[in-house]
Amino acid sequence: MRNSTFLRHLMRLKTFAFLLFLSFFIVTSIPITASSAEDDTDVIAEDHSHIDIKRGERFFKGLLPKDRKFESCVSCHNLTHTDTLNWNPSAMAIAVKFAGKDFSEFQSAVMQPVGKKMEASHKDFAIEESDLKKVKLYLDELAVTGPPSAGPTINQIIIFLFLGLLMTLALLDLIFFHKIKYRYVTVIILIVAVIVQVKMVADAAISLGRSQNYAPDQPIKFSHKVHAGDNKIDCKYCHHTAEFSKSAGIPAMELCMNCHVLVREGANSGKFEIAKVVEANETKTPVEWIRLHNLPDHVFFSHAQHVGIAKVDCQKCHGDVAQMNIMKQTSDLSMGWCINCHRDTKVNFKDNAYYDNYMKLHDQLKGGGIDTIRAVNIGANDCMRCHY
Amino acid sequence: MKTYWRSIEELANPKELRREEVREEAKQKSMLMRGDNELNAASRRDFLKTFGFGIAAASIVASCKRPVDKAIPYLVKPDEINPGTANYYASSYFEGNEYGSIIVKVRDGRPIKIEGNTLSSISQGGTSARMQASVLNLYDDARFKGPSKSGQEITWDAADAEIVAQLTTLKSQGGKVVILSSTIISPSTRDVIQKFIEKQTNTEWIQYDPVSASGILEANQKSFGSAFIPDYRFNKAKVVVSFGADFLGSWLSTVEYTKGYTSARQLQNDRKEMLRHYQFESGMTLSGSNADVRFPIKPSEEGAIVLALYIAVAKSKGGQVLSGVQSTVDISDLAKDLLENEKQSIVISGSNDVNIQLLVNGINQLLGNYGQTIGLENSLRTKQGIDQDTDRLLSDLKAGNVKALLVWNANPVYDHPKGKDFAEVIKKTSLSVSFSERPDETTALCQYVLPESNLLESWNDLEPKAGIYSLSQPVIAPIFNSRQVQVTLLKWIGADNNYRDYIKTFWKETQFPKQKNTTDFRQFWNTSLQNGVFETVLESKLVYSPEGLSQAANQVKPVVAGLEVALYESVAIGNGKFANNPWLQELPDPVAKISWDNFAAVPVAYAAENALKNEDVILVNGIELPVFVQPGQAKDTISVALGYGREIAGKVGDQTGTNLYPFVGIDSGTRHYFLTSAKVEKVAGKLFQLAISQTHYSMEGRPIVRETTLDEYIKNPVSGNEIKAEHEEKSVSLYEAPVYNGHHWGMAVDLNSCTGCGNCAVACQAENNIQVIGKEQVRNRRIMHWIRIDRYYSENPENPKVSFQPVMCQHCGNAPCENVCPVAATPHSEEGLNQMAYNRCVGTKYCVNNCPYKVRRFNWFQYVKNDKFDFASNSDLGRMVLNPDVTVRSRGVVEKCSMCVQRIQEKKQLAKLEGRAIAEGEIKTACSQSCPGNAIVFGDLENPESRISKLFKDKRNYHLLEELHTLPSVGYLTKVRNTKA
Repeated sequence: MRNSTFLRHLMRLKTFAFLLFLSFFIVTSIPITASSAEDDTDVIAEDHSHIDIKRGERFFKGLLPKDRKFESCVSCHNLTHTDTLNWNPSAMAIAVKFAGKDFSEFQSAVMQPVGKKMEASHKDFAIEESDLKKVKLYLDELAVTGPPSAGPTINQIIIFLFLGLLMTLALLDLIFFHKIKYRYVTVIILIVAVIVQVKMVADAAISLGRSQNYAPDQPIKFSHKVHAGDNKIDCKYCHHTAEFSKSAGIPAMELCMNCHVLVREGANSGKFEIAKVVEANETKTPVEWIRLHNLPDHVFFSHAQHVGIAKVDCQKCHGDVAQMNIMKQTSDLSMGWCINCHRDTKVNFKDNAYYDNYMKLHDQLKGGGIDTIRAVNIGANDCMRCHY
Repeated sequence: MKTYWRSIEELANPKELRREEVREEAKQKSMLMRGDNELNAASRRDFLKTFGFGIAAASIVASCKRPVDKAIPYLVKPDEINPGTANYYASSYFEGNEYGSIIVKVRDGRPIKIEGNTLSSISQGGTSARMQASVLNLYDDARFKGPSKSGQEITWDAADAEIVAQLTTLKSQGGKVVILSSTIISPSTRDVIQKFIEKQTNTEWIQYDPVSASGILEANQKSFGSAFIPDYRFNKAKVVVSFGADFLGSWLSTVEYTKGYTSARQLQNDRKEMLRHYQFESGMTLSGSNADVRFPIKPSEEGAIVLALYIAVAKSKGGQVLSGVQSTVDISDLAKDLLENEKQSIVISGSNDVNIQLLVNGINQLLGNYGQTIGLENSLRTKQGIDQDTDRLLSDLKAGNVKALLVWNANPVYDHPKGKDFAEVIKKTSLSVSFSERPDETTALCQYVLPESNLLESWNDLEPKAGIYSLSQPVIAPIFNSRQVQVTLLKWIGADNNYRDYIKTFWKETQFPKQKNTTDFRQFWNTSLQNGVFETVLESKLVYSPEGLSQAANQVKPVVAGLEVALYESVAIGNGKFANNPWLQELPDPVAKISWDNFAAVPVAYAAENALKNEDVILVNGIELPVFVQPGQAKDTISVALGYGREIAGKVGDQTGTNLYPFVGIDSGTRHYFLTSAKVEKVAGKLFQLAISQTHYSMEGRPIVRETTLDEYIKNPVSGNEIKAEHEEKSVSLYEAPVYNGHHWGMAVDLNSCTGCGNCAVACQAENNIQVIGKEQVRNRRIMHWIRIDRYYSENPENPKVSFQPVMCQHCGNAPCENVCPVAATPHSEEGLNQMAYNRCVGTKYCVNNCPYKVRRFNWFQYVKNDKFDFASNSDLGRMVLNPDVTVRSRGVVEKCSMCVQRIQEKKQLAKLEGRAIAEGEIKTACSQSCPGNAIVFGDLENPESRISKLFKDKRNYHLLEELHTLPSVGYLTKVRNTKA
């Protein structure tokens, strides 16, 4: 009877494994509620305690006061990253701005709004001073602790592990338990799981180091749609080295001031965002933008070649920037993507005297052997063009 | 065919040497596999484990977030700076008595490369290895971070206040202040010092050069009444006779002399005449190895030979009749040759013996060379130190007469023969201040260290030759809390201390009136600054007088018996100031091909008699030195390089080699760079490992170097290159010859113009981010230089003929490396380049094995950010020198010469932007651009009018191993020697 004991053991193992999986799933899908070890009533400074900060947070999130008639702060000033552009300053941005300032300044900013947009949204505010003080305390705390982390979502690894478990169970059933009556069900489960896993690994491997659709929050809510789209500013007004340098260039802060010396209030963002540009200029601290397009170090790319010489539209690689409120990386910037474009792109062979020394190709063009010269014909896909 | 050999061992038994090499290589490889090597303890198993883990990690990493990169713009963008494009500024190099007008490439605010300035009549666009490497000195971790007092940090204000107070007290008490500096050729700095002396009376300024030209200066004082170094015009000479002066390697103004020398020897464009070069010397120097006729002599023989030459010349020219000791060498042929080339010859001597220099002056005067090949107007000013001044300073210091010593760019504790005495007295001096940029032996003993800024951070003006001026401008703000010495001195005397304005005012008063091109000073200043140079024409009123000549002849000393030690400045390290520069330390000596150490070069016969072989250790007058058997080393001599054995230099230079300055002798007021009657004994059983690279990359005895003599060449331009026709006739290939549509980049190397100086190797290193690998790895045959200079000996090992041959990737049309790469990491480009895609390379090294030219380099280790290779690339500061356009290679990939593809691409792009064809000579590779011999020409072989196309059609042109039908894009021009038949 050794065999049956072994099976019993296996059954137990199976239940255990299932429970383990379930608990893992539950734990990871529930947002972790931060449990503070400290007593909420602990007095931090002479005039406030943890409970005040908590109250401030609740007020900010619209949970207090119960008879609230106006919008919650968080409904406009988001705490975490949003996918669509929220024009209003985020809670974090406000927190940082007022962190070193005293309450009266904060109060006057909230209660006596300046600028059309803010006036409109803040007009019905009836906030007790004590409540607002707590909100300030909460924001001060936020400035130190940083924005709350978004709860973990079911990510690729969990699906991957789940599939692995499914396969294990299916295999066990197939070999030992035979609980599932129709064998093809387990086989299908196995095959599908393997295919999905392989595809996941392949996709992950291909996208390794690539960042298509990367669209991080920028320190200033700068909208390319407003600048390049609505106001039709030429790309090369700001990125003016694109035509002759390998780098398109991030505009210097003084360049922003060419317009923003007058334009101090935006239709969407009000005064808050533009004030950052002005402040950067006044305090001589450049804005630290988050870089989107970043090629590996072993790749040489020159904007001059593409924009200045080949006259490729910016949109061809960067997408319809004029419609982007949040700038994102449209192309995957993979080598295949580069090479395909080189295969298709025609070279302006006749008008540029540089190409005069490609005598053999000119002869072929004249003789009708070929009708167009594409980038690939003059070695655009040679390794040495990009890798050295 | 002539037999060429690379070392004495190869000459004796080439097959055995090759076997030994193969054994050594196999040993290295098996060590690596077994994990015996301390640097890499990984085995194959470990590799598989790591590889497996790597796959697993990669999939997890795939779901991780990418690191956040910042893009921080300028607040206010300077007009001239555009991210991604380089700016070039004219400036000047003057370090270690070497001058060069330079162009500094600045990329995004960082100086990253130094080029020669073609507008300068002195350096004429050429540089030396030291100039190329000097950009790395800027990013040296060892540099002082700020002022200090007795090792404690101090503010500039506090230091100024304390020192000024002490100086004021000294002034009232009449205490003597001495400024000890190396030669200063800056007119405005001299003016500043003058002002300082006016204010701080009782100040003496002494110039001190570790390897001085005191002999020439004092001799000319007697002959011409002025202590100067004449202007040698090698380009006008037909015969050059050098007595121990290595004018191509280390003597005075090497770049200028190399430019002139090679232009007088080149045979392009159907030129049929060339300069003939006689060299008398002890060790095999760079000049000696280029000489047509070389006489190996003992240093003490020199005087008698010069005297004999004088007597021979005077006999037929009717000069003053002299007599003295008998010469040991027959110079009648030489005298005849000189007399046939009157007014077209140069006789020089590297000796510091005033008597010898007086005789040399006498010879040049009799031959009518003054005013022709030897100019008196634009005298050279780069060495002005008089040896006696320093000796006097030492005795003054000993007597306690000097109360304050300000040391500026001088390191007598290390490089003066009485360094120990200096060390003793500096410690006792009541006020000692060092202005040194970096730690050195003298600075370590000074109370105050007030670091000066690097030359790339400083304003300066220079007068390297009388009437020829140049400007230095800062190309980066001071990286550390340093300050120019001129500013410091001006501050101490309470003057306005903006040194740029000071130079400007000074130029307005002195230089501006010397020209007639413009009446607007601003325009004059801006043009001079942009050009980097401002040259005026001078006239000389100096008249030769044979004063002291007969006395000199009587004082010429006879030959001394016994072994003599000749001391010389090595081509890379020079006088030792930049011993902490890893590029220079790793550059193999041009002749001995040894890096990272100095060594005792012993004659072949002496080694055989005393059973000495390479890496044995001998005791020379109490100093242990590793032995290197040097073909051509004169009988009874040993040569050792100065400049090594620094004790306080930095992580690279400390304890590298042995300091030989204590051997420098002081005799009748001047320092002599040799030692007579040396006692030498072998240290039994002791070995010292040297990084000898002379036998790396064997070409297995095939006709790699082709040479002929001038007479043969005039008779038949193909002479020496006859085999080429045979190769071409027999050429059969299975492969189709490649077709090029637009460009076919090629390179031609004129072996007649290459002196082997090594400038190209360092230029390439700076341009292409080539890593330093250290002594041990050089020994393991892993040196990374993309361009190596092979040196071959031929004929008599006691006095061989030498050939230099720079070898870089030949960019073969039918490249053997391309076919064997399993991952297509090294394909052929449409423009004829053999490409290397590092990110594709998996490191099989098949290409390395299959390359017949052995030009491919493998990254055996991670050389960047690795504590085991603690050179320039192991610190953030050191990595600032990296060229952002060139990938930094990592472990496990193969690399090689790319023909500076980044430069090709840059200029192609510029031409396309401007809608024009690429101009001839517009693209220059790093090696060709600054070559002081103009030996390397780069260009487009598809353009029939280009210089390179013409050189490829030259009768002297050949390719390495043509018989393999690799169709190299690099051609060589036969070496022609001007030996008399």
